[in-house]
Amino acid sequence: MEKRNSKRSNVPLTTLKKGEVGTVVSISAGHGKGGGFEKRLMDMGLTPGTRVTVVKSAPFHGPVEVIVRGSRLALGRGMAKRIFVEI
Amino acid sequence: MKKKKLLIALAGNANVGKSVIFNHLTGLHQHIGNWPGKTVERAEGTLHFKGYTIDIVDLPGIYSLSTYSLEELVSRKYIAVERPDVVINVVDASVLERNLFFTLQLMELETPIVIALNQMDIAKSKGIQIDIRKLEKLLGVPVMPTIAVKGVGIAKLLEKVIETIEKKQSKTSQVTYGEEVETKIGKIVEKMKSVHFVYPQRYVAIKLLEGDEEIERETQRTNPEIVDAAKKLAGEIECIHGHCCSTVITSERYEAAGCIARAAQQLVSPIKPTRMEQLHNFTTHRVTGYLTLAGLMILIFYSIFTFGDYASGLLSDLLYGLAPFFASVFGTGVVGDLIWGGVMEGLIAGITIVLPYIIPFYIILYFLENSGYLSRIAFLMDNIMHKIGLHGKAFIPMMLGLGCNVPACLGCRIMETQRERLLAAFVTTLVPCAATTVIILGLVGDFLGIHWALALYLFNLAIILALGRLAFKVVPGEPTALIMEMHDYRWPHMKTILKQTWFRVAEFIKIAFPLIIVGSLVLKLASVSGWLETVASALSPVTDAWLGLPPIVGITLIFGVLRKELSLVMLAALLGTSDFALVLTPVQMIVFTLVAMLYIPCIATIAALVRDFGWKKSLFITVFEIAFAILIGGIAMRLLALFM
Repeated sequence: MEKRNSKRSNVPLTTLKKGEVGTVVSISAGHGKGGGFEKRLMDMGLTPGTRVTVVKSAPFHGPVEVIVRGSRLALGRGMAKRIFVEI
Repeated sequence: MKKKKLLIALAGNANVGKSVIFNHLTGLHQHIGNWPGKTVERAEGTLHFKGYTIDIVDLPGIYSLSTYSLEELVSRKYIAVERPDVVINVVDASVLERNLFFTLQLMELETPIVIALNQMDIAKSKGIQIDIRKLEKLLGVPVMPTIAVKGVGIAKLLEKVIETIEKKQSKTSQVTYGEEVETKIGKIVEKMKSVHFVYPQRYVAIKLLEGDEEIERETQRTNPEIVDAAKKLAGEIECIHGHCCSTVITSERYEAAGCIARAAQQLVSPIKPTRMEQLHNFTTHRVTGYLTLAGLMILIFYSIFTFGDYASGLLSDLLYGLAPFFASVFGTGVVGDLIWGGVMEGLIAGITIVLPYIIPFYIILYFLENSGYLSRIAFLMDNIMHKIGLHGKAFIPMMLGLGCNVPACLGCRIMETQRERLLAAFVTTLVPCAATTVIILGLVGDFLGIHWALALYLFNLAIILALGRLAFKVVPGEPTALIMEMHDYRWPHMKTILKQTWFRVAEFIKIAFPLIIVGSLVLKLASVSGWLETVASALSPVTDAWLGLPPIVGITLIFGVLRKELSLVMLAALLGTSDFALVLTPVQMIVFTLVAMLYIPCIATIAALVRDFGWKKSLFITVFEIAFAILIGGIAMRLLALFM
C-alpha cells in the first residue's frame, strides 16, 4: 500500500488541502482534562474510520471547515492539528 | 373529572428547530429560568390538549448525553430523574446520521420517545428523501415529519405523543454493540442485580465502560467494586481494539446510527449547490466574509443608534410631559423632587433605553442567530479570539457589549464551560457600551477631536487584549477549542424571534430596572441632602491628587456606576456648564473619559454578573476594574502632562 505515492497516512487534518478527503485514524488528546475534546469530537461524528472532507480554512490560521457525516463543522486549528487522518 | 397531567420534554441537537416547536406548542404560556444552581437555561411551558394539562420542558440543544458540558449533564439527569411521559426528540432530517446518534443515546435511557423529523424542506432541497415508515421500523419509535418554521406537522406530532402515552408503548429497542462490548455490558449488569440506580442498569454499565465521570462517582459511593470491575473490562476492550473503550463504544454507536440513516434515506442525484450554500461560501470567504461582517456590523449599529436616538427622544419628550402632573400631585418640595427626580426619572431612563435600543438589538441578534449567521461570525473571529485564550463564539457577547453590557454578560452562556463563561464575561465588561460611547464622543470627540476618541477606542482594545490574556493565564483550567456546527442558512421563524426577544427584554427589565430606579433615587437624595460635597472631599485624594481632576468630578465617576448614561449630564450640572472646555483641561478630559471607560460599566452589569457567577467573583471583577481604571487614569495623567 505504501508504494502508492499519493497515499499519506497519519497526517494532521490541517495538512489536507481544500477539497481533499481523509479518513480519521486517531485523535491525540494530550493529557489531563484535554480528553474532553476527544470525546466531543467523537460525539460530533469524528470517530476513527470516518471520512472527513476539508472545505476550507479561515485565514490567518483560523479554524478549519469540514464536512463530516453530512454536517458542516468548524474546528479550531489547534484541535484540527490533533486529528490524524490518512488519505 | 380531574384533568390529567402530563410531562413532556423536548430534546435534540442544537439548531434543529427545537425552540420553534416549543413555541408552537406552548404559545405565550412559557417561563424561562435557570436550572437550579446552574447557568443553564430552562424553558418551560404548559399546554392544554384533549383534556390533558401538559407541561413541556425544552431541554438544551446538545449532541450527546455524556458529561462534556453542563447542558448534557442537566438533560440526562432530567430525563432519568423526572421521567417525562414522553421525550420528543427533534431530529434534523437533513443531518440524519448525526442526529440519530443522539436518538440512540436517548433510547438507552429507556424513556418513551416520539421523533419529530424536522426540516423536511431543507432535507428535500439537499436531495435527501426519507422513508418514514422504514425509519419507524428500524428505530421502533414513532416518527412524525415536520417543518416547524411553517407549522407543518405540529398538530399531528402532538396527537402522536398522546397516542404513544395512552398506548403505553412497550420498551424501545436498543443499540446492539459488537460482541466483545455486549459481553462486557452483560457482565457488569449481572453485578448490579440488587442495586438500584437512577439510570437504567444497562445505561450505567455502558457509561461505566465509557469512563463517564459522573456515573463513576455515583457508583463509587455505593458499589466501588462495580467501578473496578468495569475499569478492568474496559481495559480488555482497549487491548482488543487498540482504541480506548469510550472510542470503541462511540464508534459502534455511530455505526448503528449510520446503518439506520443509510437504510432509511435515499440520496436523489446530487443537485447543484443551493442558494443558501452559495451564501455560506460568500459569508465565510477570506475576503468577502470579513467585508460582509464589517459592513453588517456597521449597518446594524448605525441603524440601531439612529433609530434609538430618534425613538428615545420622542419617548422622553412624551414621558417628561408628565412632570407638571407629578408636580401638582406631590408638590415641588423635597418629596416631590425625590419622586419625580429620583423614581420617575430613573424609570423614564429605563424605558427610553429598553424600548428604542434593547428591543431592536435583540430582534436583530436573534435573527442572526436563528438564521445561522452567528456561527459564521464565530468561524471568522476564532483566530482573533484565541489571542485572549477564548474561541470564536466569545466574539458574540463582546459584540453585544458595544450596545449594552447587561445582555452581553448574560450572553456569555453560549460558552461551553464555566471558566470560559467567566473569562468571556470579564472581557465583555471592558467593552465600551453605548453609554460609554456617549462619554467618549461627547467629551473627547467633541472637544478634542475625533482622532482622540479613536485613539481611546484603540487603547481600550489593547487593554481588552492584554487583560483578557492575563485573565486567561491566571484563571485555572484548560482552554476549550472551537467545535461548532455551522448549520445551513435558513429563513428564521419570526414569531420565535419575537418571543425570544420578549423573554430577554423581560429579563433585562427584572435585573436592570430596580437598580436604575434605586440608583436614580440615591443620586437625587445625595444632591438634595448636600452629601455630594462630603463625598467629593472624601474622595479628593484619589480624584484630585492622583487623577488631577476637580474633586467635584470624582462624584460623577462614583455615581456613574449607578447611571452611566447620565455621567455627562451630571458633569455639566456639577460644573455649571456644558462647555467643558472652559472648566476642564484636555488632559483632564482624557483622564476622566479613560476612567469612565475602563471601570465596571454600571450596577446593572454587576447584577448580571452576580446572577451567573455569584457574589465573590462579581465583586472581585468590580473592585479590580475600578482599581485598574484609577491606576491607568493616574498614569495617563502623568504621561499626557509631559507633552500636552
